[in-house]
Amino acid sequence: MKYDVVLIGGGLSSLVCGISLQRTGKRCLMVSGGQNALHFSSGAFGLLGFRPDGSAVERPLEELDKLPANHPYRKVGAAKMHEYVNRVKPFFASCGVMLDGDPERNSWRLTPTGTVRPSWLAMSDVTLYEDSVVSIGRKALIANIAGYLDFNTAFLAEGLEKAGVTCRLEAVALPEFERLRTSASEMRSVNIARVMDHDQVWKKFVEQVCVLLRDEDVVVLPEVFGLQDEHVLEQIRECIPARVVFVGTMAPSVPGIRCQSALKTAFEQAGGEFLMGDEVISSEMDGERVLSVRTANLGDTVLEADHFVLATGGFFGRGLQATAEAVSEPVFGLDVDAPEERTQWYNPDFFAPQPYTRFGVHTSENLRAMKAGKEMENVYVIGSELGGADALCEGSGAGIAVMTGFKAAEMING
Amino acid sequence: MTNKNEFDVIIVGGGITGAGTARDCAMRGLKVLLIERHDIATGATGRNHGLLHSGARYAVTDRESATECIEENKILRKIARHCVDDTSGFFITLPEDDLAYQAKFVESCLAAGIQADIIDPKEAIRLEPSVNPTLIGAVRVPDGSVDPFRLCAANMLDAKLHGAKVLVYTEVESFIMEGDTVLGVRTVDQRTGEKAEYRAAVTVNAAGIWGHHIASLAGVNIGMFPAKGALLIFAHRVNSIVINRCRKPANADILVPGDTVCVIGTTSTRVPYEECDHMHVTPEEVDLLLTEGAKLAPVLENTRILRAYAGVRPLVSADNDPSGRNISRGIVCLDHEVRDGVKGFVSITGGKLMTYRLMAEQAADAVCKKLHVNQVCKTAVTPLPGSATGSVEEVSRKLWSVPVTVQKAAAGRSGDWAEKIAMDHPMDRSLVCECEEVSVGEAEMAIRDLDVHNLTDLRRRTRVGMGTCQAELCACRAAGLLAKAHGCADRARADLKDFMNERWKGMYPVAWGETLREGEFTQWIYKAVLGL
Amino acid sequence: MNDHKFEQCIKCTICTAYCPVVAVNPLYPGPKQAGPDGERFRIKNKFFFDENLKYCMNCKRCEVACPSGVNIADIIHSARMRYGHQKPNLRDMILASTDLMGVMARPVAPVVNAVAGSKAGKWAMDTFLGVDQHRTFPKYQFKGFVGWFKREMEASQASYPRQIAFFHGCSTEYQHPEVGKAFVQVMNALGFGVQLLDEECCGVAMISNAMWKQAKQHARHNVAAFEKAVDAGLPVVTTASTCTFTMRDEYPHILGVDNAKVRSSIVLVEKFIHDLVDKGKVKLVFRKDYKARMAYHIPCHMEKLGWSIFTKNLLQMIPGADLTVLGSGCCGIAGTYGFKKENYAYSQAIGQPVFDEIARVNPEFVVSECDTCKWQIEMSTGYAVKNPILILSEALDLEATAKANCVNG
Repeated sequence: MKYDVVLIGGGLSSLVCGISLQRTGKRCLMVSGGQNALHFSSGAFGLLGFRPDGSAVERPLEELDKLPANHPYRKVGAAKMHEYVNRVKPFFASCGVMLDGDPERNSWRLTPTGTVRPSWLAMSDVTLYEDSVVSIGRKALIANIAGYLDFNTAFLAEGLEKAGVTCRLEAVALPEFERLRTSASEMRSVNIARVMDHDQVWKKFVEQVCVLLRDEDVVVLPEVFGLQDEHVLEQIRECIPARVVFVGTMAPSVPGIRCQSALKTAFEQAGGEFLMGDEVISSEMDGERVLSVRTANLGDTVLEADHFVLATGGFFGRGLQATAEAVSEPVFGLDVDAPEERTQWYNPDFFAPQPYTRFGVHTSENLRAMKAGKEMENVYVIGSELGGADALCEGSGAGIAVMTGFKAAEMING
Repeated sequence: MTNKNEFDVIIVGGGITGAGTARDCAMRGLKVLLIERHDIATGATGRNHGLLHSGARYAVTDRESATECIEENKILRKIARHCVDDTSGFFITLPEDDLAYQAKFVESCLAAGIQADIIDPKEAIRLEPSVNPTLIGAVRVPDGSVDPFRLCAANMLDAKLHGAKVLVYTEVESFIMEGDTVLGVRTVDQRTGEKAEYRAAVTVNAAGIWGHHIASLAGVNIGMFPAKGALLIFAHRVNSIVINRCRKPANADILVPGDTVCVIGTTSTRVPYEECDHMHVTPEEVDLLLTEGAKLAPVLENTRILRAYAGVRPLVSADNDPSGRNISRGIVCLDHEVRDGVKGFVSITGGKLMTYRLMAEQAADAVCKKLHVNQVCKTAVTPLPGSATGSVEEVSRKLWSVPVTVQKAAAGRSGDWAEKIAMDHPMDRSLVCECEEVSVGEAEMAIRDLDVHNLTDLRRRTRVGMGTCQAELCACRAAGLLAKAHGCADRARADLKDFMNERWKGMYPVAWGETLREGEFTQWIYKAVLGL
Repeated sequence: MNDHKFEQCIKCTICTAYCPVVAVNPLYPGPKQAGPDGERFRIKNKFFFDENLKYCMNCKRCEVACPSGVNIADIIHSARMRYGHQKPNLRDMILASTDLMGVMARPVAPVVNAVAGSKAGKWAMDTFLGVDQHRTFPKYQFKGFVGWFKREMEASQASYPRQIAFFHGCSTEYQHPEVGKAFVQVMNALGFGVQLLDEECCGVAMISNAMWKQAKQHARHNVAAFEKAVDAGLPVVTTASTCTFTMRDEYPHILGVDNAKVRSSIVLVEKFIHDLVDKGKVKLVFRKDYKARMAYHIPCHMEKLGWSIFTKNLLQMIPGADLTVLGSGCCGIAGTYGFKKENYAYSQAIGQPVFDEIARVNPEFVVSECDTCKWQIEMSTGYAVKNPILILSEALDLEATAKANCVNG
């Protein structure tokens, strides 16, 4: 089979790149080895939240020239970064995902442990605040679903109390959840959200919350609403006579799944072909050009393309693989930026920056992959597969995915 | 003795020896105080193979230890059924080993009273498919596995049920002494900084390798030999029968299936005494354990490693052996009045997990002698709490008509003490730890009955966070339960950070493959999503 | 044990979000608990096996979603085989023995159909067997596919330049011979002679119903038959997605029957034709007057095979086809699962989103490679469901296609 572009990986960066390409007339095929990291999204995207010293960034675009030379944003280039950031909201809106936030200035969001964290753009679940000294409110009612363990109300309350908000914790029990609760393991965010997706259920839940509400001006709820339709969130906000703040839960992430599903649909509606649960197992190359790949499922059906985009992620996405001896890139055997000595891969302090998060495929200035020291002609690397950034400490994971996704699409379109 | 700070005996150290001694003394009717500076089972007790030795390992080199082991082996199978897994064990001879050693080995086992049957290598492969198929000899012995955390907790619980007082997170700063007599201890609460004094006619030093320091506080010198042993935990049981090498004890020659995992070990290196509190497993140790381990069971090469850890054996110096391999694992019970002229002070050390009960018996005998109490030891015939009923099947079926997995898992861990675990409401059965099937009810039981102050304590009692994901899923849930139980989210949050760091400490020495993936994923959840 | 890669699970919980059973049945422990989590306990002691693993429909959606490559459903069904105490009852054996039932029912097909379709018959099956009375039974055909083929087609097959072996499966023989007929017509038009195999039921229903011994016997028999065909240079072409998936993957992964020599030669007709067209080895000529609005329901096992791309591409080649691809979702039948009284309500609840979407799209008919999906969707929505090969046979100008492929029919 012949395509214009084969994208390997099906997460945020690949979807952004694939949708952009498909919409500009390129025939795209996406191969994804299962679902992706969007399933653990907080619902908020970061562009650049923190400096290396841990201080918070207010205007990410003004920090670009301070980033190391091999940082993905440096490869995208300052001019393109300025252009792309303003393209993000309309792009996602066209896929059915409404994002809040100022593209050029960071806002703040409330974390599940009651702290605040810089955020760039966010799905409608997330409430964004303009200042780090958050005026969340005076009094908060934190309402959980009875028996749900993945929404840590105690931490949340403690964090809010420190910020001067008086908190009251309540758990709402609805008969609709009794059945789910009989399972020892499946009282999870998505399963709850599936039940909540029925209009009569979320309405009943909201009614109960309203009954519990006294003089609180804020109501904090877990992100378990609107799995299918984000408009429910707005309706809930309208029904409760207080400011409603949704806060993330343990995985899987309801806004993340909603976003993934919307982007995948957008890609397919634009005519893209998505192979879920398949993986590239071999490739044919001619010099610095990849001619074709084969996948586990398609067997002897060869996938040819003019361009290949590698977006298989870091270690989690299996875009990088580590053995006791070395770190490697498994699809094309590309050059990887990682030290040989494995004692250099980690920091003994779990909460300190971890060197391995910076590892990635070595690319040229224009995101083309390097193999055996030579630049590949038609292989682009995007997202967390790229090295040079500690996305976790920087708060830049989604930003890198989206910016490099746009960039690769533009490079391919020429 | 009406003063609440006065006791018959104070036991310093909350490892298995201390817990066993506390139980024994309490069962003999003494008023007991046990003091531990951290949590129970934090030293060598919780940092070994969890091997229920048959004694075969020592049969050739250390007859006395071998005999003690097999006797205690038989006792533990009766009194600690819920902590013991009757796996049996193999001593295999590989082509590179001397098969002639086998005959000597079997002869020595039989002489020590250890059953040892030579079996055909093919039969060994049939019984234990993971064993190295190139083996040229195999001997079957009554090895098994024992859960040291559970064993320690059960001893501690029984001591308390017999009236003992247990103070954890309490450190002995000095002894109250009058001339050459130890009258008691001065302590500081590690969490609050609060100081206190406790008095007793006899103080027992059961502090393992740290007993060296405790003894020095009383002006006594015990020449301890700190021998570090490193081990690796694999993510599931690759073997169901313990596999040992049939040769003189050496590095990484025992693979023990314990609970849901298996453990390869150990190494043996002398370490400076000052480093005993800060053990790290080196890359060289990891590589050695993997290379040697794969010789026992080649599948280990491709098995996910959960973590690496190291303990320090409390050996008592005998010679200049640089590794400590040749020092006797025999029990050392010192009456310091006889040895050093210090009255009211006994040290119990040396020995090993297997012989903890006998060590406790000897210590308690020494205490009773000093107190002129004439009570016999009953610990060899009295089952520990949880061990009154038999197997996990029997316990589960006795407690619940149709047990579900979470109930079976609870029965597997707590024995018949599982009846104290709330299971009626669906909420009680909800899983906190999914890898190890630990329910809300079980965690709450541990918090209530078993001196749990933080997540790491909870882990030692229930296996929360000990499974495949190394706490990625459960830590936050468990922290929520602790915050509720202790009414303090601030403390629970700090505790959560400590716990994640404690988990990572075991992961980073083996941070490649799935272990590194798990590490990266856990970072996302705790840093990006939870914002810790 | 490590074959199913259960240790690659990093407990991300993604599988639980895509399990159709978890969404409706709290008795099922969920793919994560039933699969990789439970496996560690079962290895320790088989007592930890949980009979509720039987609620897994084996739809494989967990495996498709898993970012770690864990064969979750394989772990679950291997555990059922290794540790389970489930013994199939009479009902299960009847449901699972699709070929035997076909043989017995065929001579009296009108009577069987009438009884199975009657209120009294449904009541009796519900009461005495535990087959849910709401369930509509597929009709047995008086005349099967094989009889027709031997009578009317077999003699001419040798004249075609290229040859293939056809695994027709139970439903083509007993319920839907038209699928087999369409297959032969299309293959002939493309210049392929069709040879039948000495086939037995693929055994998928036996796997679901814990009839392990019988399933293994069938697997061994079929693999031997395929090896003979492959040795003779014939690919094994099929029309049913679940049979195909079972014979390629479940034989080695669950039943432990080695099919390495033949696995890659077992292909669904849609992939077979697609690859020929793609390589320019055959040409398709479509009728100018064919027009149809169709909605493609991708069966679970097609998702797992990853081959829906071939069906989509083929259908999109039909100039008159207006194709909507339905969202990814399980119809809830899962072979014999949905026939059972205890599962009926779960089965329908699982399928509801699919039924709703079909009603919204309102096509002329639904497309599906799976016959049990067909039964479920036809019963639950009233829309007809067609196998893609049937659509192809209707949309192709068979004569012109034969000519284009230089076939002298």
